[in-house]
Order: sequence, then structure tokens, then C-alpha cells
Amino acid sequence: MGPVGLRSAIAAGLVGAFASLYLALVGLTERFGDLELIGEQVTLGRVLLVVPPLVAGYVVTRPRVVAGERRIPTRVEAAFAGASTGAIAGAVFGAAVAFAEWFDVNRIREVFITVSPGLIEFVTFERGVAAGFVILVVIGVLGGAVGGALRASSPLVRTPIVLGASVAILLGLLQRIIPVAMRQLDLEPSVLYEVSGGLTIPAGVGVIAVTAGANVLWTRSGPRVRDRIRTSAREQPVARTAVLIVVLAVAAILPLLVGSVISEVLGTVMVFMLLGLGLNIVVGYAGLLDLGYVAFFAFGAYALALVTGATLNTTTGAAEPAFALGLNFYIGVWVVAALAAGVGLLIGAPVLRLRGDYLAIVTLGLGEIVSILTQSRWLQPFVGGLQGMRGITDGAIGGLSFRPPQNFYYLALAFVVLAVFVSWRLSASRIGRAWNAMREDEQVADAMGISTTKYKLLAFAMGGAIGSIGGALFAVKIGSLTPASFQILVSITALAVVILGGLGSIPGVVVGALVLIGLPGLLREFEEYRLLIYGGVLVAIMVLRPQGLVPNVRRTRELHEEEVEQDAWAKGVAEHEEAYATVVVGDTVVEEKRPE
Amino acid sequence: MSTATGGDATRDVRMGRLERLPWRTIILVVLAVLILATIAIGAYRTLAEDAYSGDAWRDFIVLGLAQGAIYALIALGYTLVYGILRMINFAHGEVFMFGAFASYFFASAYSASGFLDRQPLLALTILLVVAMATSAGVAMLLERVAYRPLRGAPRLVPLITAIGASLFLQNTARGFFGASPRGYRKPELLQGSWTIFGGDVAKIRVVVLLTAALAVIALSLFVARTKTGRSMRAVAEDSEIASLMGVNVNGVIVTTFAIGGLLAGIAGVLYAMTFEQVNFFMGFQPGIAAFTAAVLGGIGSIAGAAIGGLSLGVLQALGPSLILTGYHIPSPFQLREAFTFLVLVLVLIFRPGGILGTGEAEKV
Repeated sequence: MGPVGLRSAIAAGLVGAFASLYLALVGLTERFGDLELIGEQVTLGRVLLVVPPLVAGYVVTRPRVVAGERRIPTRVEAAFAGASTGAIAGAVFGAAVAFAEWFDVNRIREVFITVSPGLIEFVTFERGVAAGFVILVVIGVLGGAVGGALRASSPLVRTPIVLGASVAILLGLLQRIIPVAMRQLDLEPSVLYEVSGGLTIPAGVGVIAVTAGANVLWTRSGPRVRDRIRTSAREQPVARTAVLIVVLAVAAILPLLVGSVISEVLGTVMVFMLLGLGLNIVVGYAGLLDLGYVAFFAFGAYALALVTGATLNTTTGAAEPAFALGLNFYIGVWVVAALAAGVGLLIGAPVLRLRGDYLAIVTLGLGEIVSILTQSRWLQPFVGGLQGMRGITDGAIGGLSFRPPQNFYYLALAFVVLAVFVSWRLSASRIGRAWNAMREDEQVADAMGISTTKYKLLAFAMGGAIGSIGGALFAVKIGSLTPASFQILVSITALAVVILGGLGSIPGVVVGALVLIGLPGLLREFEEYRLLIYGGVLVAIMVLRPQGLVPNVRRTRELHEEEVEQDAWAKGVAEHEEAYATVVVGDTVVEEKRPE
Repeated sequence: MSTATGGDATRDVRMGRLERLPWRTIILVVLAVLILATIAIGAYRTLAEDAYSGDAWRDFIVLGLAQGAIYALIALGYTLVYGILRMINFAHGEVFMFGAFASYFFASAYSASGFLDRQPLLALTILLVVAMATSAGVAMLLERVAYRPLRGAPRLVPLITAIGASLFLQNTARGFFGASPRGYRKPELLQGSWTIFGGDVAKIRVVVLLTAALAVIALSLFVARTKTGRSMRAVAEDSEIASLMGVNVNGVIVTTFAIGGLLAGIAGVLYAMTFEQVNFFMGFQPGIAAFTAAVLGGIGSIAGAAIGGLSLGVLQALGPSLILTGYHIPSPFQLREAFTFLVLVLVLIFRPGGILGTGEAEKV
């Protein structure tokens, strides 16, 4: 098999088969079987059948070092190896399908609830088990061959193809969203989309062609443009300001473009952006892993309800809470933030000497205590227990309520912009650098005269304040509170937002919130798989790209500089070794210049 | 250097005890006194009011011990992995859950065919083997896919991965087996109760305690006597030196995960039979409680996990009724899990080394 060993082909093929089997058993394949992406034939379910052999083929043909030489397979070799791998993946998966059909689908369903005659029909393309097996093997061969060929192609060919296909799939997924937005803008959706389905076939082909073409153009002329942008950004803050203004302008008109359904999702995105920004200070800047961030979120929501006045839900009707102030929202939210900063200090103080994973578990425990307390009958007179509270202020100014999604978006945007500004100034300040030092090495920071106690507490207080504002806004958004909204999943979601974007990166938080909250919010079909995807994202990011999607610039630059220095050093050593021979004379080692 | 900074607090305290009292120590002492007073007053008032009968207290304790035995079995998995890799395998609760689920399918099939009651001992053995094999398999897969690529990465990285893996496994089980809980029937042999010391004790609790005790003894012997056990101890001591001495460190790590999985599988069967149901979320609470138990006993120590598990079980069962009832807090049992976390937080603040630990604060 040329450059790919038989054993690694079998291993990759088996992994591919198990991936297909996993997707089928966990329910994704059939659930998205009729989610049409492009035309009627390309459904998400079918894409999920093709992707595992394709990835297996791609992975198995990675360049490897043979006898000290980096061996890159040719395109034909790679396609062949990929096809064999894909064939194994398809055959094993097909055999599993045949086995299920032979064994009795209904008995398997007693264990795996997703295995149904419908699933079998779907994966065999409704042509019976024998024909289905052949089809699966063919899909495997083709997918694997494409994967292998892609790997062996130069990035100039590979990137446009992958990018074009991804964009087409993404646009196909957004079939409920984009047509609505297009209508809002007086565009005719049927140019791109079927009436109820994904992209039309011409539109799909067009999208792939345009994306690929744009990518090719960008790679050709890109370096020059990029260089210009980069130098100008470094030399003139004007360029950066311009980018910022464009982003803000888009953010400002977004709800007008997309209508109230998407604005509702955007409101949730904004709330989690605030949570992400707050958590980013604690985890990203100061390096303190807080798994109980929901505590601040819950505190913010309930405290706002209490300081601005709300009603308790009880089984017998409404009741006044045992404590209530009638503050205005715009005063109340700062009172809440200040209180939350105090809570942050209180939580921070006793756990100061714990580091790393122990701190994480203690904060997890504190978060759980808070969410259990919100449900308890003990605090029921204050926060309403399981029944919760309602009648929370809508933050109205002169009759303009902020409850409707499009209005809430602006309220939340204002706080997000403020939090971004605060985070940005903090990271550039002496405090930010102290956090940086503390995160990298606490003992060294301590030795350098940085009071780690002070800065840790400051991080907890700042993170707590921002998180509680997120909670307060959440309360305004939905107008009623129940403990179900304040579970540990909030902490994990906020963490996933920070991790996906990149620890310590403000644009990262924005992107993370848009991807992790926005996409599942828009694609209602994914709702039941949201947590599965979050879990997968956390693992995948940590294993494959720990710096995140939009890494912190300063840290990347530091890493990069280090690499450059190391490379220079290694190069120096190599040159030295090439030029000089080591000769041992008696007990001493002498270096002699080699003859040219 | 300031008075009490970060992880060096204890060293500072030791050096500076005579010259000055660090403010942190003062706060901690005040906090400790307040907590002890709260407990004492609550307990006194509960007892003075005679809120529960003597039988009720005995039931609480037996319940706590049985629950604690299960925690101990899961805690061993945390402790073994922590001892060797210095990482918290946050997804261990899910390893436990998968074992319970796997045995459920056999149990329900055996229950339907009557095999469960005709040959209860054989059936139970099969259930245990199935659960142990599944849990060990999941644990080893987890190590291979999620943790091995990250060995040597900064410490927060594997922890975040573990949280992700936990969420992923939980929702995988939800996708595979469905979201609704499934009833788990125990054999007739284990239904009902025995009379021990003049009181009725549910048979299942006795079996749970005995099984857990056997497992802990077997594990202790394994670690103390066998060659693999010796390599495990060597790697826990210093993995680099161990590898120089010819110990296959990778092999030892995989074995450790597998053993943790085996014990979690046993715990899964016992837990499922005690509560007579399984669901995809069942790993979370016992997982956290077991971690608490491991820390309470002194993480890294096998005896510590056992002692920590039993103590936590009893604390959980007794605590809310003994302390909170005295303050007339409604439905004290609602706060049982909050109590677990409170114990965890307090142990980590006051005695991070745990009951059997050295009391050293440094757990970095």
C-alpha cells in the first residue's frame, strides 16, 4: 500500500466505522436524515455518513517519517490508501447494519433506543441490507479517496474545496434564518433557498464556487493586503478603531435586520457574552479555574429581583418576598454588581491558598450550594423556591420597555460594550500584567513583589461583578426566575465559551458566545445535542487547539517569539555542528573546523 | 512578601507564628469556631427536642454507611488516578454510570426470563462482571482519547478536558439509552431485611457494605503484594525514575484507569440495586460525593478513600437531620447535597490533606 501501512489503514478504518456507528447510535444520523442542505439529496444525515470515512482517509495519509525522511505520499498513492481505509470503514459499518437487521432491530432498541427500522432504512438508502452494504462500502471508498487526495494536495487546492463545502453546509443549516433575514431586506429568498429545505442545487454549486474562488483570490493577493493591514494596524491605531466602529455599527443594526426571533437568540448570546467576559477575567487573565460561576449568575438575577422588587410564585398564588427594595433598575444593577464583588471576595478569601484543580472543585461545590439553595424551602420566603419569582423590572426608560427582544438586545449590548472596555483596559494595565504573571507562575510572581492575595481577590471580585450583571440582565430578559435556569450547566457553558474562543482573549469570548449560544439557538434541531456538542468542543479544543479559535494576541506573540528564538538557536547549533567536527584528544574535547 | 500569600501560607504561618498572627489565620479560627458552634447548638437543640426516635438514628447511620461504602468504591478510582497522574478524573462519575447501565440491560433480561431469581448468585456475578468490564473499558478509552494526548500539559488543561468528557459521556448515554430513567429490579434474594442487633436492616445495605469491604481489601492486597501494584506505587512516587527503573509507565497508567473502572463498575451495580433505577445523569452526584470522600480521607490514599467514603456517607445521612432540624429549617433533606459540598469546601479550607493526610496545604 505504498506509504501507508496496512495496520494503520485497518486501525483508521475501524475508528471511522466506530465513528459512523456512534453517530447512528447517539441518534444524530437519523435525526438529521431529512434535514436537506443542498437540493433534496444532500441531507445532513448523509453528510454524517460520508464524513467519518473521509476523515479516516485524510488522517491515514498524513506524512510520516520513514528512515529519517519525511515521506509525503503522492496524490494517487494517497487516494488509493484513503480509499482502502474508507472501504474498511464502510464495510465494518455496513456489517454492523446488516447484523442489526439480522439480529432483530426491536430487540436492539431495548438497549439503544435510536436503533429503529427507520434508521436501518436510512443508512441503507431504502434499498435493503445487501444493496445498502454495497452503497456504504462505495461511500467509504469514495469518501476515503477524497480524504486521501485532499491530504496529498497542496493547501492551495485543499483549502478552497474544504472551505467551499463548509460554507455551503453552514448556509444550508441556516435555512430557517437566512430566508427570514432576506425577506426583511426585501430580497427574494427563493434565489438561494428551496421553499422548505436547504439551498437549491444551483445556489449550492454557486456558493461553493464563489467561496472557493474568493479563497483562491485571497491567497494569491492576500499576503500583500494582509501585510498592509498588519503594518497599518501596528502603526496607526486609526485602522483598529475603524474595524471597531464597523463591528459596533453591525452590532447596532443587527436586530433591525434579523427580526425578533433571532434578536431573542442574540439577547441570550449577549447574556452569555457577559458571563464569558467575567469568567475570562478569572480563568483567562488570573488563571483561577472557577467551575461555580453560576453562583454569580444566580446571585445577580435573584439579587436584582429583590432590590428592584418582584413577586414570589407560590402554590396558592402570588406573595410578597420577605425582603424587597424598590430601586430603579439602573441603580439596582450597580448595587447588585457591588454586592456580587463582595460575594466574590467572600468566596475568594477562604480558598486563596488552593490552586489549580482543588480551587476548581471548591468553586464547583460553592456553585452547587447556591443552586441547591435557590430550590430549597428554607430560602423560599426570599427567592420563591421551586416556584420561583416573577414580575421583575423590565428596566423601562420613559415607557420604553426592555423586555421585547429587539429592545433587550440594545440594553445588553450596552453592558457588553462596557464589559469589553473594562476587560480591555484591565488586561493592558498593571493589574492585567500582574494577573498574567500570577497565571504563568504564582511563586515567581510572588517573589517579584506582586501581592498574589490582592490580585486573586481582585479577579474574583471583578469576575463576580460582571457575572452578576449578566444574571441581572437575564432576569430583565425573561421577567421571571426559576431554579431550573441556574444549574451547573451555566458554569460549564460559560467555561466552554471562554475556552472555545481562547483563554484571555476578548474577541474569543465574543466568537465563543456567538458559536456556542448563537448557533444552537438558531438551529433548534440541535437543541437536544447541545450539551453533547459542548462536551465534545471542550475535549477537542483542549486536545487539538488549546489556545482557542481567536487566541490572545499577546500570548500568541510570546509563544511565537519563543519558537523563533528556539528555531534560531537550533539552526545555530546545526550550522555549528556542520562546520565543526568534535575531536577527542586525550581527555579533552576539541572542536576542529571541518575542511570545506 | 506579604503576611499570607497563596500556597505559601502555611510556611509563613509556621515561621511567623511567634512574631505576628497573620490575619488569615485569625479569620479561619473565627470561622471554625462559628461553624463548630452552629453544629453544636443545632445538634443540641435537635436532641433536646427529641425530634427523631432511636430507631430513626440507627436507620440514618446504616443508610449512611451503605451509601458511604458506594462512595468509597468510586472514591478509590479518583484516588488511584490522582495518586499517579496528579489529575482529577472528573468524568469518573460517568464511568460509574456506564457500568450501572450495562448491567441494567442484563438485569432486565434476566429478570424477564426468571434467571435472576432462579440463580441469583450466578446472575449477580454476571451483572458484576458486565458492569466492571464496561466501566473499565470506558475508563481506558477515556484515558486513551482524552487524557493521554495531554500528558505534560498545564494542569488546568486535562481538568477542562475531563469536564468536557464528563458532559460528553453523559449526553452520549442520553442519546444511546434515552433520557427517561429505567427501573432496576434486584433479585428476591436481596429484597426485604434481616434482623441484626434487634433491629431490621435492609439486606441490600448489608450486601453493599460487605461487597465494598471485600473490594477494598482486594485492592489493598493487589497494590501491596503484586508486581503491578509495586509498579503503581513506584509511578505514584516518581514516574520519571520509575520509567528509568524499567517500569512501563504507560502500562501502569492504563492499568490504574482500568482498576478504577472495575471498582466503579461494582459501585454501579450496588448503587443501581439500592435505588432500583438507572439514568444518564446518575453519575454526577455520586461522582462529586465520591471525590469529596477521597479528599476528606486524604487523596492518594486507599485507606483514606474508604474512611472518607464511610464518613461522608454518615455525615450526609446524619448531618441535615441532626443539625438543621434544630434550627427548624424546613425539609432539611433537600439540603443534603449542599451539605456534601459544604463538607468538601470546609475540608479543603481547613485540612486540605484530609483525615489521613499530613495537613499540608500544598496540593498544587
